[in-house]
Formats: sequence, structure tokens, C-alpha cells
Amino acid sequence: MLNIKKLKKSFGDLEVLKDISLLVEQGEVVTIIGPSGSGKSTFLRCMNLLERPTRGEIFYKGSNICDVTFRPEKYRKEVGMVFQRFNLFPMHTVLENVTYAPIHLKKVKKEAAKKEGLELLDKVGLKDKANVYPNTLSGGQQQRVAIARALAMNPEMLLFDEPTSALDPELVGEVLEVMKKLAKDGMTMVVVTHEMEFARDVSDRVIFMADGYIVEEGAPNEIFTNPKNQRTKDFLSRVL
Amino acid sequence: MEVLNSLDFATAWAGLYPTLLEGFGVVIQATIMGFILALILGILVAIGRISKFKVLNGVLVFIIEIIRGTPLLVQLVYMYYVVPLLLTITASFFGFEQQIQIDALTAGIVGLGVNYGAYLSEVFRSAIISIDVGQTEAALALGFTGKQTLLRIIMPQAFKNAVPTLGNYLVMMVKDTSLLAYITVAELLLRTKAYTSQTFLTIESYTILAGAYLVISVPLSQLVRIIERKMKR
Repeated sequence: MLNIKKLKKSFGDLEVLKDISLLVEQGEVVTIIGPSGSGKSTFLRCMNLLERPTRGEIFYKGSNICDVTFRPEKYRKEVGMVFQRFNLFPMHTVLENVTYAPIHLKKVKKEAAKKEGLELLDKVGLKDKANVYPNTLSGGQQQRVAIARALAMNPEMLLFDEPTSALDPELVGEVLEVMKKLAKDGMTMVVVTHEMEFARDVSDRVIFMADGYIVEEGAPNEIFTNPKNQRTKDFLSRVL
Repeated sequence: MEVLNSLDFATAWAGLYPTLLEGFGVVIQATIMGFILALILGILVAIGRISKFKVLNGVLVFIIEIIRGTPLLVQLVYMYYVVPLLLTITASFFGFEQQIQIDALTAGIVGLGVNYGAYLSEVFRSAIISIDVGQTEAALALGFTGKQTLLRIIMPQAFKNAVPTLGNYLVMMVKDTSLLAYITVAELLLRTKAYTSQTFLTIESYTILAGAYLVISVPLSQLVRIIERKMKR
């Protein structure tokens, strides 16, 4: 689905991603773990061109999205993103947040968008909050709305940028629950996370990043029970 | 005490009331049209200033500095007396031998609009900048273009945040319409002055004039404050 080749990204003199290649298959759940500053989030943001890679290629459906002539808008409609800080639109109700992009970008009729929006809100357990404004919701609820908003575009793939890092601990579970459901339904997902349990139980593959490199990758069982690289061992011994 | 006893507010009021009422219309017209012009200019300049084009940004900063560095009264005089001459010269350059004139109220409205536009552009610019970058990212990630994101997601929020400040500028503009008297617009001050020079009811007339401005500006500021409070909720 996504074929990333020799990706590099620098901010000025600071090289954040040094040489990253990764193949994401359709229906696969890939989690990216690693210490802060390892480049995980930058890597994820490159996947939807919120950051322009300095070098390297990312192939999606046969075209290189890093090409300067590539228009990111169409691609982004197919690859949704969920942010650490939710970023819901404060001037719109929960339902409007979910239906806004389909109505304006896909020219879906308002009634149809509303119907589908309510279904999605039902899926994330927030149908009863459809007509309130985001600032009245808890962090966990806001993040679930953000997931519904991304799903409303019917994406081929979803990117999650530390979706539970800004949440109070007791609210993390409800968001992970929704993500697990998505994974089960076969959604292709790339998840940057500090939730090791989620990485271990839900993902098909775990990527361990450090200092701008992919240091180790493999099935969650291997990585968590039998890490080969010393840096992975150190990291896991600290977080588990 | 002699002076106070001889004050004749009743006469002054009776004489001024009809003409001030007409002047009210002029003030309202100048304020509404001037402010709409200022809003349009302010938004356009703000967008120009946050755009990637460095040259455009530089030109706009230069113009804003000129406007903010010169008095409004001077700008109004310039707009009324100098700009028509410049236009006439420019027109003759292209072979049109014609005296171009701008009527006083139009010059006043444009002058107010341009001057306030310069200040409002800064209000809009900081309002736009203050919107969380996450909003832009969320919109882009959904597939909106940069332009759509600015117009659909960022501007409405920025505008909403700017409303209280805009309200204060509106009240200021109402009062600044008094400067239009200097370029012969028959607003409140000019009418009062004319009345005074005929009747010599100086104290009465100008006191009534000051009251007339208060009648407009006090309720308007109250309204702004109510809107401000409502929006904080």
C-alpha cells in the first residue's frame, strides 16, 4: 500500500530521519515505538506530507508522492490522520466535524453525510454527543470524534500520531478500544505510540526507531520477548 | 453666574436638532461604508502578509508604515485635495484632458477605510497567527487545499476572535468621522460650527454636539462589550 524508500528529513542542520525504508501492506497494522526525539512523529508526518521529506521516495498506488509535481490533496483524502491533540474544529458541532470534509470535498449530499456521520459516531460510541461542541467533551471523547472524522472520508489507510499521549490515563482505554475495532475490521494503520500493550496485542508489525533510523522491526512477539538490538532491549526494559 | 443664566439650550437644541439628525445619517453612512472598506482591505492585506511571497509582504509593510506614520487628518486632506490632482495628471498622461474630482464624502470614506484598513490588517494578521497550527494540519490532512483551509477553517475562527477588537475600532471610527468636517463633509461638527457662527450659542451648541457623539458611541461600546462577554462563554 505504501512503499517508503530511503527517506531523509532535515530541519536546517538537524537531520531527523537518516535513512528509512518501510513497506506497509494493505490491511496491516504497523506500530512505531521508540524514545522521544527518535523521529517517529516526523516519519509519520512525512507519510502524509505534512512534512516534506528532504530526500527519498514514497510510493502510493504507483506514484511517488514526494514528487514536486504531486498534488497532496487527493492523496490525503485517501490517507487519514489522527493527531495527538485531536484538532477538532471548535466552531462546529461534533456531527459537523465529522461531515464537514465529505460535504465540502466529496460533494456528498448533506442528508447522506449526516446519516453516515451518525453511524460513525455510533461506531465510536458518541452518537448522543452529535450536536454538542467539541469543547464540552473529554479528551478521550474528542479523540474518538477525531477518529470518526478521519473515517468519514472513507480512507484507505489511517495514520495515528500518538493518539493517546495527550489523554488522562483513565481515558486512554476508550480510544485504544476504538482503534482495536478498526484494526479488526481490516483498516490499514500506522500508529506512533507509547502504548506498548497496544503495540504488542494489536499490531502485525512493530518498528523500533532511534536516532532517525529504524533499528529493529518484526512481529510484536519477537520484538517484545526477544529483541535483538541492544538499543531496543534498553528501551523496552525502561518502558515495560 | 451671569453667563450660566444666559445659556439658552432650548433654542440651540431646537435649531440644531433637525440638522444634526441629517448629520447623523452622514456619520452612519461614512462609518458603515468606511468600515466595510477597512474590513475588506484589512483581510486582504493580512492574507498578503502571511503569504509566502516575501516581496508582497515587504511592499505591504511599507504601505502600512506610511499609513500608520501619518495622521488620519492629513490622509483625509490628501485624499480630498491631492489624489484628484494626481489622477488628473495621470489621466492627461494617457490623453484624457479632464478635471477629476472626488466628492468630499467619498474621499472621506476612502480615507477612513484605508487608514483603518491598515490597523485592521494587523488585527486580522495576529488573529490568524494565533489560531493553533493543529487546525491547519487537521484540515490539510483531510484533503483541503491550503487556500480552502485558510478560508474555511482558519479565517472564521480568526474573525470570531477578532470581533471584540473590531468593535472597538468601529466605535473609534464613529468618532473619527468628525475629522471629515475638515474636508467639507456636512457631518455633525461642520453643521454645529455653521449653526454656531450664525447664532453665537457656542457653549450650548458644542455641548449638544458632544452629547450627540455620546448618544452613538456609548450604546455601541456597550454592545461591543456584551458581544465580547457572550463570546467568552
